[in-house]
Amino acid sequence: MSKKITNNIRRLRFDNDEMTQQMLADEVGVSRQTIVAIEKDKYSPSLEVAFKIAEYFNVPLNVIFQYK
Amino acid sequence: MSYKERSIWVSLAITIYIWFNYFSTLYRSAQQEILTTSIMQSALLTVVIMTIVLEIFHHIVIAIIDNKNANYDEDERDKQIALLGTQNAYYILSFTTIAAVLHLLFPFMSQRLESLLNLPNEYVIINIIIFGALVAEIVKFATQVFYYRRGF
Repeated sequence: MSKKITNNIRRLRFDNDEMTQQMLADEVGVSRQTIVAIEKDKYSPSLEVAFKIAEYFNVPLNVIFQYK
Repeated sequence: MSYKERSIWVSLAITIYIWFNYFSTLYRSAQQEILTTSIMQSALLTVVIMTIVLEIFHHIVIAIIDNKNANYDEDERDKQIALLGTQNAYYILSFTTIAAVLHLLFPFMSQRLESLLNLPNEYVIINIIIFGALVAEIVKFATQVFYYRRGF
């Protein structure tokens, strides 16, 4: 079975005062649709956006993104 | 639907509408055997004017409807989707170039097209290139819409 990149941004948003997708999108400089696509594992963000998301939630990258 | 996707849908509709008018004008004139270079030139001029007017109108209307995102800047996903559209359009344009060259080198291969259009050879080549560019443009928009719909 092929591996793919998954993430738990949805849970992190929920834990972060139920932050909206639009708020996260504004924080990392992408559109809300891009956040939707990332959360659904349909789009793998660039390293830059991945690091911005990790920096925003103040967690290491591998806590947000997994390759499995 | 994002601002960008909505804009692409409208551009796709405008492109199809304008060029359908152009080729239907050409086809009707050819059927009636009244197709001349001046008719073709005026049809092309109409295309240019309509494209400018409709595209300006489209951007104004979309900006009014969705004024919150009117200054929306493309993000990395938009750029990647645009790149995929351009890549597919490039294949079509390459094929068009080959078709135009083949038409120049081996005119007997497209004799039927020439007799149908009844235009000087250079105008037939112009139409081959225009048609290829049109298909490329439609493929570009369709690819982008496909990836926005399916998710990317």
